[in-house]
Amino acid sequence: MSLEIAIHEQSCRGCELCIDICPTKVFELDEEKRLCLVKHAEDCIACLSCAYICPSNAISHTDYHAVKNFYRDAEFCQRMGKFL
Amino acid sequence: METGNQRLALQDAMVFLGAIASGTEQAIGESANSISYLAGVNLGKKLSEGVAHTRDIQEALDATRKVLENNDYLWLFEPFKTHDQENIVREGDEGTEVMLVFRDCMIRQSLFRFGHTQKGSLCNMMYGFFAGALQNIMGLQSSLEIVHAGENACYKKLIVRRAS
Repeated sequence: MSLEIAIHEQSCRGCELCIDICPTKVFELDEEKRLCLVKHAEDCIACLSCAYICPSNAISHTDYHAVKNFYRDAEFCQRMGKFL
Repeated sequence: METGNQRLALQDAMVFLGAIASGTEQAIGESANSISYLAGVNLGKKLSEGVAHTRDIQEALDATRKVLENNDYLWLFEPFKTHDQENIVREGDEGTEVMLVFRDCMIRQSLFRFGHTQKGSLCNMMYGFFAGALQNIMGLQSSLEIVHAGENACYKKLIVRRAS
């Protein structure tokens, strides 16, 4: 799985919320264009906080590990049986 | 128990867990963190009983991960380094440091299910679990700082204190 992260340039308003929230400093501001850029995609941990906080919905991730909704996962529910 | 009933029971247990955490935090404030921390320490010590002793932090993390897997705990983690870090393990002022990414986490799922905020008392249980397990496996004190609590993953800094 090779995570990819992209910013839709026409949607980005350069608010820098993604820069502020990212714990691994994936983004950088292009001062001239007033746009946020993906500078270090390899550092992305796919926490998705940037995507959730972006007011323009301009950030998208592909090929990342989405957390298990384990209470809906039949196999996991069976394994959790011993705790219930 | 049938799977459908297990699902319902699990959801109830999660809501109950979130409610207890929320209620405890409201009633006794930050002391709720200490209670969860100590519960995590006890759990970490109990589950890591008999695990081979090592002073190598990567071996200790592998052993801790195996303890979680063997007990069906959805608390799996992976060491992580950013592009500007030379090594996963670093020596800091307070001790040996490793950044950890937690993806699937039953605590996070429980909190979201209940509409509860992250970084609360339940998250301290994980801190306690590591402190207890690493105390058994490495014989050293440690801390697990929440650097970032995200919707799909959390980023934490593990510091294993040097032997005095």
